[in-house]
Amino acid sequence: MDSPSRPDGDARTRRGPDAGGLVLLLLPALAVVWVLFGGGLALGLVQALGYLPVAGLGELSWGHFARVLTDPDFIRSLLLTFYIAGTSTSIAAGISILTALLLASLVERSRVIHFMFQVPLTVPHLVIAVAAVFMLAPAGLFSRAAVALGWIQTSADFPLLINDTWGVGIILTYVWKEVPFITMMILAVLRQSGNALLDVGRTLKASPWQRFRYITLPTIFPAVGAASLIVFAYTFGAFEVPFLLGRTYPMTLPVWAYKNYSDIDLLARPEGIATGIVIALVVMLAVVLAQMLTKAARKRGVIL
Amino acid sequence: MGDLRIEKLAIDYGARAVIQGLDLDVHDGEMVSLLGPSGAGKTTILKAVAGLLEPSGGNILIDGHSVRGVPPEKRNAVMVFQKPLLFPFMNVSQNIGFGLRMRGQAGGETARHVDHILALTRLEGLSRRKVHELSGGQQQRVALARALVLKPSILLLDEPLSNLDATLRQRMRELIQTIQSETRMTMLFVTHDQSEALMLSHRVALLLDGRLRQVGAPRQLFHHPADPEVARFFGGKNFFQGHIQNGMYHSDFGVFAVGPQDGNGHLRTATIRPEDIRIVPRRAESSGGLAGRIVKTNFEGSATRIVVACSAGELVVLTSQDGFLPGQEVEVTVPPDKLRLFPDA
Repeated sequence: MDSPSRPDGDARTRRGPDAGGLVLLLLPALAVVWVLFGGGLALGLVQALGYLPVAGLGELSWGHFARVLTDPDFIRSLLLTFYIAGTSTSIAAGISILTALLLASLVERSRVIHFMFQVPLTVPHLVIAVAAVFMLAPAGLFSRAAVALGWIQTSADFPLLINDTWGVGIILTYVWKEVPFITMMILAVLRQSGNALLDVGRTLKASPWQRFRYITLPTIFPAVGAASLIVFAYTFGAFEVPFLLGRTYPMTLPVWAYKNYSDIDLLARPEGIATGIVIALVVMLAVVLAQMLTKAARKRGVIL
Repeated sequence: MGDLRIEKLAIDYGARAVIQGLDLDVHDGEMVSLLGPSGAGKTTILKAVAGLLEPSGGNILIDGHSVRGVPPEKRNAVMVFQKPLLFPFMNVSQNIGFGLRMRGQAGGETARHVDHILALTRLEGLSRRKVHELSGGQQQRVALARALVLKPSILLLDEPLSNLDATLRQRMRELIQTIQSETRMTMLFVTHDQSEALMLSHRVALLLDGRLRQVGAPRQLFHHPADPEVARFFGGKNFFQGHIQNGMYHSDFGVFAVGPQDGNGHLRTATIRPEDIRIVPRRAESSGGLAGRIVKTNFEGSATRIVVACSAGELVVLTSQDGFLPGQEVEVTVPPDKLRLFPDA
């Protein structure tokens, strides 16, 4: 009987530092993360629990969390944030799947296309948000182009895409920014084994649709899932784009947290931090799910 | 029915011609090995037969019908790749039944066929296993089973054993041989390993530099190579020049009675396999062989490879006898009946 394959067999026999040694080696880097991130989170939690001597608050309680969670505005903001993060992530994932499939063979042949797709990854969200204002605002580039082409009579006829009810501007900005990221993740999987599996599918009599349904989708699912969860986590916790392109009411949670935190009334600060901690929990949950998906995919031999 | 005919096949990669004017017939129930060194174009031919690559010229006929322009899913040929390429998101039986499901076969019937193939490929008890829980040999057997279950006219095997260790490879060769004799399925097997090709096939087609150099039974290619390059591919080391004169081959290594031959007086290249040369330690009384001195010995397990320097040049000898040492004086004998003469050089 053949013994089960052990892809990590080489790693097991390779000499290297043990777990304790590894922790020691990583300690300088870990200390910075713990102090800056963990310390900040702990300080925020203490303040969210009501310990803010500068504002005359010294008693620890869950009161601020309770007030935040029962505030109708919080629920509206939470729903709006979920809507924007969920919609933009879903649209970006859908476009990314189609783009990756179209580009799969092209990218293999052309490094230029590969490079072009990496460029948007380096552009900050804030720059894209400002560009969205210039293009999508009622007096923006598109509106004026539509007037010039005679599609609309005046700029006022142009649909409201910035600071609008449905967060179109925010969603478009996120979609533009996140499509390359998810596409690159999918392309990495397709380049690794996707095309070879499709060839197998062809010789095993699968039609083009069957190959997409039974080979491509299951192959890229972990990559799409993990990338989408990361994108969701980012868009759920991002502040600058909805701050620039969103409405004043209801606000997304990060904007709401920022407003409370930076309120002139110091008593609003614990509620702002409590909101931030709720955001952090949702983001961490998404990241943990992404990690689980990645781990499950790696166990199956898919490299992400 | 499982006939494959390749006529004047030409395949280009851009401006580079990889295969030119290749003709090959694989008959119903036959196992033919396409043998050649890496980069000779073996996989390219297989991909063209499978439909994964469009030839630039020639024709491919499966069961008498041209399949030029026919997509792979519509051809009655299935390919087993060098890597198992199993679907990682499916278990063993789902992988094996994939092709049947794509054909729209009912679940019950698919399960029955899968069970039969599991038994044939000795994979019973592994049907629910995840792909990553299988060894390399088991994965390759699943890949083979996944192709066999479709009962194609032609089964194309692209070096499926090259990633396995020696023991596993031997077991897989025997398994493939057994399956082929039991199912009588027509198979075109690509390999760079001459022993694999010789052991598995009814016929071997040797591909060198994009051209078929010789097609024939394994013994024919091994013992009667068509030209020096074919002989070299099969381990030929001893080549010498000479000419025919009245049934005798005259060379620097001696005169050999080779019987009546065409081209009296013409220069001819001859070869003899290292294992066909006899070697004995030199004694006071000559045995009538060529005198020489051992330059190098290499122990290869079941045999020892010995390089002998004679006055006419070096000869490589393969012997199962022990006790030869570098520097030792020896006599080597070249049996004339084992000498292979090639057409005019």
